[in-house]
Amino acid sequence: MIGAGLSGLSCAAELAEGGARVFLAAKGMATTHWTHGGLDVAAPAGARTLRDGIATLAGARNHPYRTLATDAEASVAAHLARTATEGLEHAGSLDSPLVPIPTAIGSLRPAAILPAAQAAVLGSWAGERLLLVGFAGYRDAWAAYAARNLRHADWPGGPSEIRAADVELPELEQRHNIAPQVLARMFEDPAWRTKALSAISAAMPGDAWRIGMPAVLGLDAHAAVHAATERALGSRVFEIPSLPPSVPGMRLFEALRRRILGAAGRIQIGFDVVDVERTGNRVVAIHTEAASRTLRIAADAFVLASGGIGGAGIRAGHDGALTERVFGLPVSAPSRELWFSDDPLRPHPLEAAGIEVDANLTPRELENVRVIGSALAGMHYLDERCGDGVALASAHRAAVSLASNRAVAA
Amino acid sequence: MTFHDAAARDFPPYSTDACIKCNVCTTVCPVARVTDDFPGPKYVGPQAQRFRGPGVGRDAPDHTVDLCSGCGICTRACPAGVLIAETNNRARAAIVSERGSSIRNRVISDTDLIARFGVPLAPLANIGLKNPISRWMGEKVLGVHRRGPLATFARRTFTSSWKRRAGATALPATPDPERTLVYFHGCAVNAFEPDLGRDAVEILERNGFSVIVPRQECCGLPFISNGLYDHARTKARRNLAVLAEFANAGYRIVGTSTSCTHALKAEYREMLDLADADAAAVADATWDICELLLDLHDRGDLDTHFAPVVEQLPYHPPCQLKSHGIGTPAMDLFALVPGLRAVDSDHDCCGAAGTYGLKAERWQIAHDVGAPLFDKVRAARTSGASRAACDSETCRWQIEQSTGVPTVHPVTILAESYRRADAAVGEPWRRIV
Repeated sequence: MIGAGLSGLSCAAELAEGGARVFLAAKGMATTHWTHGGLDVAAPAGARTLRDGIATLAGARNHPYRTLATDAEASVAAHLARTATEGLEHAGSLDSPLVPIPTAIGSLRPAAILPAAQAAVLGSWAGERLLLVGFAGYRDAWAAYAARNLRHADWPGGPSEIRAADVELPELEQRHNIAPQVLARMFEDPAWRTKALSAISAAMPGDAWRIGMPAVLGLDAHAAVHAATERALGSRVFEIPSLPPSVPGMRLFEALRRRILGAAGRIQIGFDVVDVERTGNRVVAIHTEAASRTLRIAADAFVLASGGIGGAGIRAGHDGALTERVFGLPVSAPSRELWFSDDPLRPHPLEAAGIEVDANLTPRELENVRVIGSALAGMHYLDERCGDGVALASAHRAAVSLASNRAVAA
Repeated sequence: MTFHDAAARDFPPYSTDACIKCNVCTTVCPVARVTDDFPGPKYVGPQAQRFRGPGVGRDAPDHTVDLCSGCGICTRACPAGVLIAETNNRARAAIVSERGSSIRNRVISDTDLIARFGVPLAPLANIGLKNPISRWMGEKVLGVHRRGPLATFARRTFTSSWKRRAGATALPATPDPERTLVYFHGCAVNAFEPDLGRDAVEILERNGFSVIVPRQECCGLPFISNGLYDHARTKARRNLAVLAEFANAGYRIVGTSTSCTHALKAEYREMLDLADADAAAVADATWDICELLLDLHDRGDLDTHFAPVVEQLPYHPPCQLKSHGIGTPAMDLFALVPGLRAVDSDHDCCGAAGTYGLKAERWQIAHDVGAPLFDKVRAARTSGASRAACDSETCRWQIEQSTGVPTVHPVTILAESYRRADAAVGEPWRRIV
């Protein structure tokens, strides 16, 4: 497995659980630490549910969902079950309504499946009021700014009132590095948490508020921290992910990592593929960079989960040539003239750059390779909000295809 | 390889241009996890780097870089390929060359000097190393923490035992680079753990190799970690002068310390700018002993007559091993020993980081970094483990010091298994060195 993002981790977990010997090599940590921790399965404009969104995208020219749509349901269910066994529960399904939820800067994005700590945002507001809590000195989330933007936002069915409270958390003024993971670890300390929660409680304007809070409510013990928070505040509380590093993403990475190690898989981060051994159209081994000679890793099959242009699995040279970094697979991409847009805030056309594959996710050139996740050609994952769904569906498709090969070989 | 990659290879700080400020490095940094005084790899690395170097003032902007323990986890986690730890190490060296170094840091880095005094005085010196009063004085006078992990001196250095055995120290008359290995024992085996050197030689000889132990000095890594690059270069040049002769003749150099072997493989070039052909030849010829044994096994050449060693064994892969980029070969070797159930500690760093955990002002940080590991090792003892294993000496001493659980190099266990196999067939084991 080459890559440690959602697709690579998920595919490695499924293969290892099925009894395959899995070695996951990644050049560094991946996008889990940059993302919001929810599941963007498919939410193109106009979709009412994720299932709706999948159907729309499956009809789009060249979209990975054209072949993967049938795997979406099973792969999402498997992912939710897998993470739940590691203490990371989720709410929502492919048929839940896509509802607008607030971001850290007070814009709205559609969501239907969220981790339990974020899930309280999904329930109908029906006249309920929203209190955004920020922490004085924590620079990654400004409650007053988000509240101001949300009051001006078009939020159909939103809260009846939105307010912000900036809370002085105990001992924070003595700390000089208030990063999200630092706060998350502080929240895991029961003594400090009690003091922090009473400070938050004291800052609440009355008690009938649903509370949005920066996503820093614990790491490994986050479920207990979230429950304790709701208990202490007497309100439903949801986390709002803010700037990277993302605490919800760290929880997701950790849950899948534990799952892979638990199934006797191996994970090596910092292993950049620098060379590939091929025999005809089969890959025999990869070589990863090491302190002196490279490390040779031989395998029966290789899964490319190294990301697209955003995750640096695909690189654009100064001449505009696009290279897939590991196997040098041909990259399908819009031509150079189409890389420009009048609106800098629109998703870049290069997002759609990727590798063309058959229904088993095999690239034309290499028969024992599968390509999964955002290395696949044809999606605009930011606009279509489909990156996680394609990651999971392709991971599942690849795992099933490789497992059936093993069965045949056996 | 892009121009950017190529430039960064010659001068790691160039790689900081690729930083996208995602802070992944800060989330994995063991030191930032336990102390607020260290703002994390991103701040002292790519952020501060813009203000360093010629033309932007002589003063380094951020002295907290000295809190970096040099474990290298940030570099391996970086999604953008920034050589963060290497950049920070150079930044520390720049501060040291501007402002000088403490006497303490010069002394604890000079392991050869320590050995020269310590070994002849071993019985007395060891009493001092164990005595709470002298350790307290060492902390007050020298700044070496009274609970810092220190090993005791051997009665006889490894090299003097080797001399007594009349072991080879030079190129053989008949070249045989296939079946002859050069052993780099490093300062720790020489002065503190000669038994580990014996175990290593025994295993290599059992697998059909002749072993040469040429004249050598400390690899210089303690000086590198303390920013004393000039001192380190002196050590490195002397070692290269000796080792290059073997490397250029096609001989492999094998070491039992993942720290020394990493210095030979990487730090001489990355930190000390020793980029000549000799340094490259030595780097390419250098192997960690477990890496070499596993390579033998992959080729079907390893003697696998291992007798059972029935125990559960907590194993901690040290940071320096991880920087080799060779995975955890010891785990694969342990799997060859019947009855042995090794469990990877799955913990980032023991905290010692060479000399870091010895320093009075760093001891608490080092201890907090390693605390979850110590808990795991203690829990293993509770469920029956009698010892732990780890490939790097200062990590072993840190684990022992903090848990009381004896901690050995992986090859010590393999040597034990081989000896038991010999005893089982009635062939008495001969002490070979």
